[in-house]
Amino acid sequence: MPPVELEMTRDEIIAALEDGARTRLNLSAVELLRRYRLGDLQDPGCVADLLVLADLLPDDDVIFQAA
Amino acid sequence: MELTIADAGSAPRLFYGPGPRKRAALGGPGKILDPIKLANGNYLRLSVSLYLDDTPDGRRMKVEKSSYQYQLDREGKRWIFRYDYIREAGADPHPQAHVQIHGRLAESGVAHRGLSKIHFPTGRIALEGIIRLLIEEFDVPANQPPETWRPVLAEAEQAFLAVAHRPTSAPGD
Repeated sequence: MPPVELEMTRDEIIAALEDGARTRLNLSAVELLRRYRLGDLQDPGCVADLLVLADLLPDDDVIFQAA
Repeated sequence: MELTIADAGSAPRLFYGPGPRKRAALGGPGKILDPIKLANGNYLRLSVSLYLDDTPDGRRMKVEKSSYQYQLDREGKRWIFRYDYIREAGADPHPQAHVQIHGRLAESGVAHRGLSKIHFPTGRIALEGIIRLLIEEFDVPANQPPETWRPVLAEAEQAFLAVAHRPTSAPGD
């Protein structure tokens, strides 16, 4: 049976990213993505679900430019 | 998942972001970050990012990242193991496909960072392999008898392995 499909808005994605990054690493979403881009996250797997969530945003989203 | 180890009503969902549907993510049954509740009351955090790629054989859905984490609580603080894969390593210094185990080594003085911080390189692991591992080694009850789920998992895993990207254990190679 194929999975149920849902669409998330940019605001929903950003809000979930911010909440997850703050709660787990005490970082902003931008700082989380910046550290990941630079290879500075000691254990990216612990936030793999947040990184997957960020992949829903287009590459030219402003959050990636800020990171 | 419903055939095998997911609790009733806890099947993964496919999420899309804004814009054209060229990217998607497999995530939890409610919100995307929710883990999937298993038939034994524990959880599988299932996170897979997907994208459409135009190949010589036509348009294909490919995996960009995947992470399968078995955990005892919804929040994931009490995790047991986690298999991660990333197609493009970027600056990430870890093997692109690896497993981590949340535990302690029986011997001391051999890994200064502790067992849970070690990224053991693996081959590409299919979700079907994780499901089988949970049933057979972690005693997660299956929703159907083995004669039902074994051939289904075997067929699906063979189809996956036939096309799966297989990185080396060196990041970025």
